[in-house]
Amino acid sequence: MKLLIFAPLLLLSACQKLSVTTTPAVPASAAMAEKQAADDGKSVLRVNTTIQDWNPGQPWEKNPSRNRRALGAIVEGHRVITTAEMVADATFIELESTDGTRHAVADVACVDYEANLALLKIANAEDEEKFFAGLTMLEVAETPPLKDTLEIIQVEDNGQTLVTPGQILSAEVVSTFLPGQLFLTYRVKASMQSSASSYSVPVFNEHKLAGILSSYDSKDQICDVIATPLLARFIAESKKESYQGFPNLGISFAQTEDLHFRQWLKIPDDQGGIYITKVRKNSAADTAKIQKGDVVLAIDGHAIDRRGYYSDPQYDSLHWVQLVRGTKSAGDELKFDILRDGQKMEISATLTRQEESSRLVPFYTFGKAPNFLIKGGMIFQELTRPLLQAFGKEWESRAPLPFLDALSNPEKYQDDHERMICLTGVIPTQATVGYEGLRNLLISKINGVEVRNMKDVLAAFQKPKLGSTSHSIEFLDEDLTIQLDDELSNLIDKSLLQRGLSKLSRVE
Amino acid sequence: MKRLLSYLLLLLPLHAQSGLKTAPPAPEVAPGAVAAPTTAEIYRSVVRIEVATQTPDYATPWNVGRFSGGIGTGFLIGPNKFLTNAHVVSNGQRYLINIYGSPTKHQAKVEYIAHDCDLAILSVENFTPFEKLPVFTIGDAVPQLESQVRVIGYPVGGERLSVTRGVVSRIDFSQYSHSRADSHLIVQIDAAINPGNSGGPVVQDNKVIGVAFQGLTQADNTGYIIPTPVVNRFLKDIEDGKYDEYTDLGITDFPLINPAMRKALKLQNDDKGVLVVNVTPGSASDGLVKPGDVMMSMDDHSIDSTGAILIDGETVNMNEIVERKFAGEKVDLRLRRNEEWADVSITLKALPQSRMYAIKYEEKPRYIVFGGLVFQPLDTNLFATQQFNDVNVRRLYADYVSKGLFQELEDVVILTNILKDKLTSQLPPYPGMAVEKINGTAVKSLKQAYELLHPEKAPEYFVIELLGGDRPLVLPAAAIEAADKRIQSGYNIPKLSNLKAR
Repeated sequence: MKLLIFAPLLLLSACQKLSVTTTPAVPASAAMAEKQAADDGKSVLRVNTTIQDWNPGQPWEKNPSRNRRALGAIVEGHRVITTAEMVADATFIELESTDGTRHAVADVACVDYEANLALLKIANAEDEEKFFAGLTMLEVAETPPLKDTLEIIQVEDNGQTLVTPGQILSAEVVSTFLPGQLFLTYRVKASMQSSASSYSVPVFNEHKLAGILSSYDSKDQICDVIATPLLARFIAESKKESYQGFPNLGISFAQTEDLHFRQWLKIPDDQGGIYITKVRKNSAADTAKIQKGDVVLAIDGHAIDRRGYYSDPQYDSLHWVQLVRGTKSAGDELKFDILRDGQKMEISATLTRQEESSRLVPFYTFGKAPNFLIKGGMIFQELTRPLLQAFGKEWESRAPLPFLDALSNPEKYQDDHERMICLTGVIPTQATVGYEGLRNLLISKINGVEVRNMKDVLAAFQKPKLGSTSHSIEFLDEDLTIQLDDELSNLIDKSLLQRGLSKLSRVE
Repeated sequence: MKRLLSYLLLLLPLHAQSGLKTAPPAPEVAPGAVAAPTTAEIYRSVVRIEVATQTPDYATPWNVGRFSGGIGTGFLIGPNKFLTNAHVVSNGQRYLINIYGSPTKHQAKVEYIAHDCDLAILSVENFTPFEKLPVFTIGDAVPQLESQVRVIGYPVGGERLSVTRGVVSRIDFSQYSHSRADSHLIVQIDAAINPGNSGGPVVQDNKVIGVAFQGLTQADNTGYIIPTPVVNRFLKDIEDGKYDEYTDLGITDFPLINPAMRKALKLQNDDKGVLVVNVTPGSASDGLVKPGDVMMSMDDHSIDSTGAILIDGETVNMNEIVERKFAGEKVDLRLRRNEEWADVSITLKALPQSRMYAIKYEEKPRYIVFGGLVFQPLDTNLFATQQFNDVNVRRLYADYVSKGLFQELEDVVILTNILKDKLTSQLPPYPGMAVEKINGTAVKSLKQAYELLHPEKAPEYFVIELLGGDRPLVLPAAAIEAADKRIQSGYNIPKLSNLKAR
């Protein structure tokens, strides 16, 4: 049996409005567990979102929308925490009390797509007090040890709270949403009831918030739960004036289990070490002069083994990324023991967070409508990963080669380009006669001006080169210059608007 | 019967047309109405060719490959000259020829083979039994649309000769699927061409007007034949005792239809001329034609804005002029360059490097096995076996000819496999990437890679860097020999390398 149910609430003494008297009357004969469940239910809300992403092929319009349902947990400051996945590209967010009596439109107060966490707030601040009246806010739990049992909260259609216990099998640094974004995650064994809504539900420990469940494998009955310390740091970070998020170092690495590789690198047998394969330009590692080919032996005094793990006091073996993203903030110093050409050295790096938008081909573009420009029927877009993914499931082999090259080898392009500008298609018009077959090409110049981003494209198309009546377009991989008649393409642009196109360009 | 069917199924991958369709039963003798005496006479000169093949497997280049076989058709065109398709006899080890209605199998050999136009000439060891047979005359005109033709051959569905009739339904410039890389004049007929028909004569007025060679998997009643201009070109080419390939101008063009584009290039609005966008380095046109030039006429045939010309009243692709010529012959181009006229005379030559995109036959795969690492040169045979997803490899493949990479790189050497051994088991899974350097030296051919891996004085480590690879592969030189021995016996690899394709 659990301890006194009211104990957690007493800790929140600062919150005057939380009062035990709002607890609905429970028959005296009811089991204690039921009462607990009902109380747990009062600190969770349904989160209903409508997701609508942009159509990568026709960037002026959105795809059909779809709805998601999940549960969020109420935390301090009348914020509701859920996964970022729930609100990525959301056009409408609604909070609903579990008994279905209260609804409120919500906004995203803070979101971190990499950590897969989001805080929501009531859109109309005046409604806030009323909406949260009688509901209880949660404190973040102590970091639970391995083998601890967590409680997964679900709410049934009738509003009843369903609590499923689950044991933490392991803690791992993995991605729960975006590939390659590694964060501390609990693997919890639990036999959950299938639910119509998303599996984004709160996870409690002793009636405090211990995590957010992000996915559930019904076959193996294993859940991924976003870990307690990450939750706590996210909430703390969100209170800062500008959200800093979790820093990144900007390196790629290879393991050093290979004996001959180790000998060649002159790594002593009693050491582990990871081999740095890539250093992202202008990243924290780049600034600290960490180089490709360096071997990182230790981070902040934690020895890194051959596979890239260190010994965590609480969670045994964890991926080294945890030492950067899981424990430090932007601006913090981190000490690296490095082996370079067989010589040991120490490097101190000041961590930063490189925004995804600083990448030549951004990995994700949630919440940002794609930039585009249409001239005379030719469609220009900025190259992003979502655009590549529009080439289908096997986009990594099926997307156009020049696009994939820019994604894989940004160093070849990034000195001359902030974004790659692509000609993604041609609407057959009078101005584009003879160009119908052109598509999936990278653009180098427009009217003789090199274009580094969509803003440049917009500016370059303002008027043709002196003495010319047409716009010239040059390509990166082809020795071809094509022309668009200025007068005719302006007319076409107007008619495209009349034909229902909402706008001819988006440059943001 | 059962044995025959399986035999024919084995033949399928050899043939351009795949997908076994039920062929109409071959009549034992030609229907009386059709069979004029001369016709029946001619049938005797249509022979059945039985081929035993050995096809190398590029996934295990050290193995002997797959033994298989197939049946095709051929016909007598001169003293001890049997014309058939290249794909009927490709990768062949033994060839047998049967006269219609005779059980005797005559040993034959390939005299000439042209993979780029899918034609071959066979001869028999003893021509005596064939001496009395009539010889087919090859016409020199392309048949008229809608005119009737007969296809004679030994397709699936029976042992004996089969004759089908059809009409000419299309004349086009299209792909010859045997090599995957060549396009020539092609004639489409509405008689089905089935496996086994390949190499058979297509006859009109008792003259050959083409060679049956491919069909369509998705469509019924479509057959494709190699028309006489292509056949005659092949026959003329081999007059000097060897087959030289088709020549290539090495020019990529872009249609000049858009008025704004024509205006910017100061061209009249007369729908004439195409823009040059790429000239293959090292090709016949290299140095003579430049990107940005506008090709206005070729050998005094005016080029229209889509790249077509008029020959004998027919609109055809301008390539048709180059198609009909041989290496050493000239093509006169009239260009518009910087608003002035320029006349250039291009001496045609073949571009052997462009065979990078053609399937190769009669070749032994080249490879090196070194301490468990398998290296192979990139070509279309390899690409077809291993679907390379690596962007850098795909880029090298795509740019090899057009960007003239072959001038620097004789071979693009690919690490195609890592055979697990105690020496290699810890290596990352990198197969499918291009080798950039071996011990610091840029790799430019398989042969050079072999030399770098077998230096006079062995280094302490062999360090192999891959293009776009995370990290180098490091092998201690001292451990190679023992590993090679283990791998040779364990993986059953008779020879650790083959550097010669023929």
